[in-house]
Amino acid sequence: MTIKALQNYIDGEWVDSKSSRWLDVHNPATDEVIARVPLSSADEVHAAVKAAKDAFQDWRETTPFTRSRYLFRMKNAMEERFEELAQAIVLEHGKILDEARGEVRRGIENVEVAAGVPSLMMGYNMEDVSHGIDEECVYQPAGVFCCVAPFNFPNMVPLWFLPYAIACGNTYIVKPSERCPISQNLLFEILDEIDMPPGVVNLVNGDKEAVDALLEHPDVKGLSFVGSTPVGRYLYAKAAEHGKRAQCQAGAKNCLVVMPDADLKATVASMMTSAFGTAGQRCLAGALVVAVGEVYEPLKDALVESAKRIRVGYGMDETVQMGPVISKEALQKIIGYIEKGLEEGATLLLDGRGIEVEGYPNGYFLGPTIFTDVTPEMTIAREEIFGPVLGIIHVRDFDEALEVIHSSPYGNAASIFTSSGKWGREFKYRVEAGNIGINIGIAAPIASFPFSGMKDSFFGDLHGQGRDAIEFFTERKVVITRWF
Amino acid sequence: MELATFGAIMSFAIEMEQRALGFFHEAATREGLGVRFGEMANRARKRLARAERARREGVAEMILESIEGLRSEDFEIDLSPGADESQLLEQAATLAETASRFYHQAASKVPIKEVSRLLGRMAREWEQQLSDLQQMSP
Repeated sequence: MTIKALQNYIDGEWVDSKSSRWLDVHNPATDEVIARVPLSSADEVHAAVKAAKDAFQDWRETTPFTRSRYLFRMKNAMEERFEELAQAIVLEHGKILDEARGEVRRGIENVEVAAGVPSLMMGYNMEDVSHGIDEECVYQPAGVFCCVAPFNFPNMVPLWFLPYAIACGNTYIVKPSERCPISQNLLFEILDEIDMPPGVVNLVNGDKEAVDALLEHPDVKGLSFVGSTPVGRYLYAKAAEHGKRAQCQAGAKNCLVVMPDADLKATVASMMTSAFGTAGQRCLAGALVVAVGEVYEPLKDALVESAKRIRVGYGMDETVQMGPVISKEALQKIIGYIEKGLEEGATLLLDGRGIEVEGYPNGYFLGPTIFTDVTPEMTIAREEIFGPVLGIIHVRDFDEALEVIHSSPYGNAASIFTSSGKWGREFKYRVEAGNIGINIGIAAPIASFPFSGMKDSFFGDLHGQGRDAIEFFTERKVVITRWF
Repeated sequence: MELATFGAIMSFAIEMEQRALGFFHEAATREGLGVRFGEMANRARKRLARAERARREGVAEMILESIEGLRSEDFEIDLSPGADESQLLEQAATLAETASRFYHQAASKVPIKEVSRLLGRMAREWEQQLSDLQQMSP
């Protein structure tokens, strides 16, 4: 098998990186090397920024309808290559095909929403703000933007930003995850196929050196980031230092509260996807079940019974329900958390360590793992594990459940399972988290809503997707007019 | 094989329609069956496109809950387009009965309303096809 050396895409051309630093990209189910990715230098980043800057003026003068038509073409090309895009995700990330298809669909939905830019970008005005004076607010593109993407949704996450940015008339640079760069490579093949004008979209593979070069460059207007909290905090500070706008979606530790009146069967089914889907490597994954009162015993048993039945394996096999984690290092780190949980006194109800998947002896597999007797002070309750490990905390009542949630520095998502409208409303009203689920395990906002988040889960004010994205990628110019 | 995921169910449906399309297409070359089997091939082609579209568009990340109680072994079909006319009609009827049974069951399991409705519609189409076939005599 020939191992593909990935290229950068700059100024409408595929270019070989001159970097001396390269990384292997592995298939997590087999440990095979499937590609090599360059860790581009600052000079290569500067070339991408120059191309994007040079393309900006022409692109911003292109009418919104024409820009929108590029997005329609992009959507159509993605539909045509849908299975290929989904399979690339499975190959480099390990998630199952259904999840990969869901990811591509979510990405396409963002392209569809952004294609509405002729309406979304309209400004507003008012006559006679004073005698004979009119005032209007105009939305204008701001320049060159970039995104730094995570490994866990290698196709979708850049699409929370890129379609909106270019729809608004900006030009764009994507720095994909160096662990999962293939999906963006494919997406840029599509952007090339649909004949985007050179420089409007650019792809630079790389790591911290490339990211720092983007943030330090005076011609970059802003950054969108999705990843861990320490990196998000660093990038947000660095963006501010260099006078750039930034939206940094960061880590999470999401709680799933179960009230005694919850529909147990539906709740448990929903939790399986939430905790173990994408092998727990989602920023919206349910990491802690907060069982209220007498629901604890039956819920605990049902969760274990259900999790035991999850079929772990290679995501290309459609009968599989959970794939491997991203890397050997991630696997070791997650196992370290399981050991820590045991040391700190939690009870292991289901142990996913040492799972063997027939035909894939070298894969980074870990079975569903469930702890009970977890307390909010334990490491496994405080830190983001980013793996298929679910902890159960038993609390007396609703208020104590909220205390558990609020003791976390994170505020990405939280869900409640109940058949009471009162508890649902109370939860929605009081809980400090950005994405709320009521009888929903993964509170993932669709493309026309912002992907929210608060506390240490988000640094910035405007989020990705929807109207927030339009606001983020535009300047508001206010014009006050009087004619003599 | 357990059809425990949305993708597994839809891929099974796609495979079934592909096989149906191949079968009707080939059988349509036989004298006496040409027109009707040709129509059935066209219907299978339409259903195939629909199933592919549903697999592409129907999957939503937030409702990937595991599905229980569907196994591919319960819907196995043996098709040999080289058989004689009466056997072909018999096979076509078995296919229609199996497919409608599969789609009915799948429709009740898939938790995505739009797709569930579509699967129900496909079940009814296969039922109609079965009834048409029963009225055909070799």
